[in-house]
Amino acid sequence: MNTRILKAEFDYFAPASIGEALALIAQNGPTARFIAGGTDLLVQMKLETVAPGCLISLMKISELSVLKREKGFLRIGAAVTWDRILAFGSEDRSYPALDDAVRCLGKVQVRRMGTIGGNLCTASPAADSAPALLVYDSRVRLVSARGRRTLLLDKYFLGVQQTARAADEIMTEIRIPAPRPDVGGAFQKLARVGADISKISCAVAVERKGRVCVSCRVAMGAVAPVPLMIRGVPEFLQEKTVTASLLVTAGRMISDEIRPITDVRSTAEYRKQVAGVLFRDVFQKAWTRAGGEP
Amino acid sequence: MKKTEVCLTVNGVTHHLGLSPNALLLNVLRDELGLTGAKYGCGTGQCGLCTVLVNGRAVLSCLTLAVAVDGADIVTVEGLSRPDGSLDPIQEAFLDHGAIQCGYCTPAMVITAKDLLNRNAHPTEPEIREQIEGTLCRCTGYLSIVRAIKSCGDRAGAPAPRPSPMKKSR
Repeated sequence: MNTRILKAEFDYFAPASIGEALALIAQNGPTARFIAGGTDLLVQMKLETVAPGCLISLMKISELSVLKREKGFLRIGAAVTWDRILAFGSEDRSYPALDDAVRCLGKVQVRRMGTIGGNLCTASPAADSAPALLVYDSRVRLVSARGRRTLLLDKYFLGVQQTARAADEIMTEIRIPAPRPDVGGAFQKLARVGADISKISCAVAVERKGRVCVSCRVAMGAVAPVPLMIRGVPEFLQEKTVTASLLVTAGRMISDEIRPITDVRSTAEYRKQVAGVLFRDVFQKAWTRAGGEP
Repeated sequence: MKKTEVCLTVNGVTHHLGLSPNALLLNVLRDELGLTGAKYGCGTGQCGLCTVLVNGRAVLSCLTLAVAVDGADIVTVEGLSRPDGSLDPIQEAFLDHGAIQCGYCTPAMVITAKDLLNRNAHPTEPEIREQIEGTLCRCTGYLSIVRAIKSCGDRAGAPAPRPSPMKKSR
């Protein structure tokens, strides 16, 4: 495979508005694809795993580059690049799990190019932003010629690189509710080197009152066909006084709940073994950040 | 495939080029403009050897469609030296510290360092290491590279304190 060139031939458009982009996707038929930063799609095109006849860039649509707090939400436009989210996170520490995820999400060049919407539309089970966005109960906004809709991120991922987004739908933004006070968050991944794709990742958001876990949300990456919301542990930990042995039990429950596979990055066995340990580390970090008693 | 006119300002010189949508910025720089500083390494966004500055930001030129950066200001390693031929301080620092072995990663390393120094005149060692994380040196000469970038920051003036305006984590 010659990855020096892009052999495929295609038409290219860079519309300035959503309306124009929707018209172009309708005109150019089923082989047309939207493109944002291109760090994933262009690689796939070089490897000839996909062959779009037409690329419609979303990077010139100003509506997709919004990044602001509004009415109890943080709105992040789908075409916002990771370096902007990182800069925002160093000013506003409301979403430390997302901040942790963006920091290890890729090398500096990829953070300059790649977008949050692109990450969610590619929908890799190992997408680093996904567990962090899941624990913050994020929603995605989609628009097509049929209208606009909002989906919980938890309902958005359907399978390996499969999502609820139709091919002619544009993801416009991600909305993250403002966290309640006393909520701490953290994200961590295990990978060969920092900028590598995760072997396994985990995000936790926990609401703490003294030594009691009022509620928590846990999500993991690269352990199932989709970025996985963990169901059992939040119920188990709710309103309990947090102790080391309680977290060991919670970690075991997570190892039992996940459905990892063996691939080039790791084995199913290792992922199962390490999941509980990773959870405990991430929970501890989120717990400390939530404050309260030490 | 229809060719479209793309305007690129590369190292201060504006070019109007007729390009196909599938032309990659790296190949336009190397094959059309003869600027062979940026290198082809992996072609898939892993090695960072094709790094150039697009509007001041280090990006991978092997994963950038030239049509997508129409109108952009691009700087390659060839654009760092001054018109009189004298080198940029970061280039001098690489020479002074022997931060060059086979040289294949050097243009990308220098550009990646420049991207950091443009934003942060006095980077710490962890900041330098994070910056060059995605630019691979197959000679593994990282220690000298880190020292070269560090020295450049130290040289840039009085060592500025770097207060971190971090608020309490939540």
